Amino acid sequence: MSAALEQGAEERAESIRMIRDSAAGIAARGGDRKRIRALRFQAPGFDPAVLRQMGEQGWIGLRVPEEKGGAGLGMSEFCAVAEELGAALAPEPLVATALSAALLSAAGAERPLAGLLSGEKLVLTAWQEGPATLEAPGSADAPRLFIPVAGGADAFLVPVRQDRGLALRFQRREGADLTLDKTQDGGFYGTLRPLGGEVLAADVAEALDNALDEAALGTAAYLLGVMDQAFVLTLEYLRTRQQFGKPIGSFQALQHRAADLKIQIALSRASIDSAAALLDRAGAPRAARRAAVSRAKARASEAAMLVTKQAIQLHGGIGYTDEADIGLYLRKAMVLANQFGTAALHRRRFAAEAREDEV
Amino acid sequence: MTELNALSDEAFRAEVRRFVESEYPAELRNPQHRLHWDQGRAWFEKVKAKGWVAPGWPREYGGMGLSASKQIILIEEYERHGVARLPDHGVIMLGPLLIRFGTEAQRQRFLPRILAGEDIWCQGYSEPGAGSDLASLRTEAVLDGDHYVVNGQKIWTTLATDANWIFCLVRTDKTVKKQEGISFLLIGMNSPGVTVRPIINLALHDEFCEVFFDNVRVPRENLVGEPNKGWSMAKALLGFERIFLGSPRQSGYALARLKMLAERMGVIDEPEFQDRYTRLRLDLEDHKALYETFVAVLRRGESLGPDVSMLKLHQAELFQRITELMLEVAGENAGLLEPMGGNRDLHPSGQFIEARPTTIYGGSSEIQRGILAKNVLELPG
Repeated sequence: MSAALEQGAEERAESIRMIRDSAAGIAARGGDRKRIRALRFQAPGFDPAVLRQMGEQGWIGLRVPEEKGGAGLGMSEFCAVAEELGAALAPEPLVATALSAALLSAAGAERPLAGLLSGEKLVLTAWQEGPATLEAPGSADAPRLFIPVAGGADAFLVPVRQDRGLALRFQRREGADLTLDKTQDGGFYGTLRPLGGEVLAADVAEALDNALDEAALGTAAYLLGVMDQAFVLTLEYLRTRQQFGKPIGSFQALQHRAADLKIQIALSRASIDSAAALLDRAGAPRAARRAAVSRAKARASEAAMLVTKQAIQLHGGIGYTDEADIGLYLRKAMVLANQFGTAALHRRRFAAEAREDEV
Repeated sequence: MTELNALSDEAFRAEVRRFVESEYPAELRNPQHRLHWDQGRAWFEKVKAKGWVAPGWPREYGGMGLSASKQIILIEEYERHGVARLPDHGVIMLGPLLIRFGTEAQRQRFLPRILAGEDIWCQGYSEPGAGSDLASLRTEAVLDGDHYVVNGQKIWTTLATDANWIFCLVRTDKTVKKQEGISFLLIGMNSPGVTVRPIINLALHDEFCEVFFDNVRVPRENLVGEPNKGWSMAKALLGFERIFLGSPRQSGYALARLKMLAERMGVIDEPEFQDRYTRLRLDLEDHKALYETFVAVLRRGESLGPDVSMLKLHQAELFQRITELMLEVAGENAGLLEPMGGNRDLHPSGQFIEARPTTIYGGSSEIQRGILAKNVLELPG
């Protein structure tokens, strides 16, 4: 257990506040949407300089133990950063880099880990062989799908099933058979055909299992930032847009809808916070951890889609234009709602893992 | 032209079906976006050669003079085949308005050019400050000798880049109740002072535009009907539009795509999917039945009441629910910008985005619910 996790509750809350503030310094909430537009649909789809800043802040290695060069902080801190980046719609990868950092750390691969943690090298984990899954079968040749931010990758980590377990292979970008598909949020999904490469560790099955759970929860937190900021913009619009001689936010039908959205955002936040706290607690059983993560991601995926869809509706015609920023939040939610597990997958997993007395 | 009204419904339906199946360009079936004029031009020429440009207009003005029930058959067959809408505001909106409210000189001047495809019309109603509250529109037309001088801005003008004429609602009297100071004015898009700016929408397509008027001089004879009667004239034509927006076609098309997607994703036989899919199918079947009851009203030659708002409202929300299930079923493919594997039918994110504005345009769902509550249910307030 690291020093950070042993702090008292008040100190902990204060340090999370500070992390939020520093996140806002790099990617201000609802801040620079011109920047987001300039980066979208053109590889790599993000700004490498901002990724380096994230590395300097220690966010990529936020969950990596201090003795391995990370910050050794908890999931509550990680989710706070993810939420701030979501509210800023930052396209620079936090969740995908943290996933690779966890694997490199488990594998004891010091050199690639150092490059990744500094934000200089983008190492992405190419684990997925089908849609809507959290399982990595580790086939030798099957194409690895839906690799986020693949346009900027320097190298890939490819889990491959071998005699002793799920081995971790390191494959460089040069010479890789990689294709890119644009995503609605302006980024790219990569498809990689594995070509072998150096084996970094003989078995990372357990590390990958945990890291995918943390990625799912981190994505839920990012979605929380997305929906929360979309809601802020929508409330501003309801207060200022005039029709029939008054602000449209004075119409009861719209007031009730806004109230319902607020409830979903509050439920998402509560679900994510409690899941993060559970993951940070020493000795929490695996089933309980998995159930908590699934509860949070199922909620966040559905709530983010609901809030961003309604944000468009409440903006009316202007919401359907590409130049209105509110559409950027919907596009981001469309991509992330099904990443690291769809709501349906997480509901199934929750049902399988949760004990009735814990629900 | 054979006397189409004399044909039985079945014979007429067969005739329409033969026409679209042999003449309609296959690559234009069920396009994802509204067609620009140059894209649909070849099809328009075939319709024109057949004399079928204006099904609803009387024969004396070059229309087909079709009965309401035959017009409905024509629309049904077009929709069944996936025939795209051309830029058709001249045929659907302006023609009927001129025939009902225009002068004979205006009819002789404008109607033949619509039929020939020489004039393409767009509609200038909404403004940035006048959307749901359309009657608050502020684009102003001030009489100066024999001309109106027009200043202001229209928005959501569909395919204005393709049009050489625009029919507008303009304010001609600011001293009276807002609905009573509006006139109906025809403005050449090539007049000095008219500027068009396309708007890129969420589907990254450019079918909407903004149109700006800066001291545009419009001859006085381009005013339709009496000054300050434009609002009631425009409203008289709205009911017919709402039944089109309530057609089950969009939802039926989307449901077929949902099924293809579910097959591709391997979830088609899952009980949970089947239950949700069947629920949507039932919604669609019941919607078709409801639609038929409104069609029957038109067939009898009667006009539609405010309850037609139910159709538009239900179809738009059904279309959205179908495309929302597409996103859920598609997994990570839901985030892809382009169709899956280049197959236009497998494009969940595109269909989902395409469905977003249906609850906004043509009277938003909020406005439609208000109409139902006030004008149908006669609730107070």
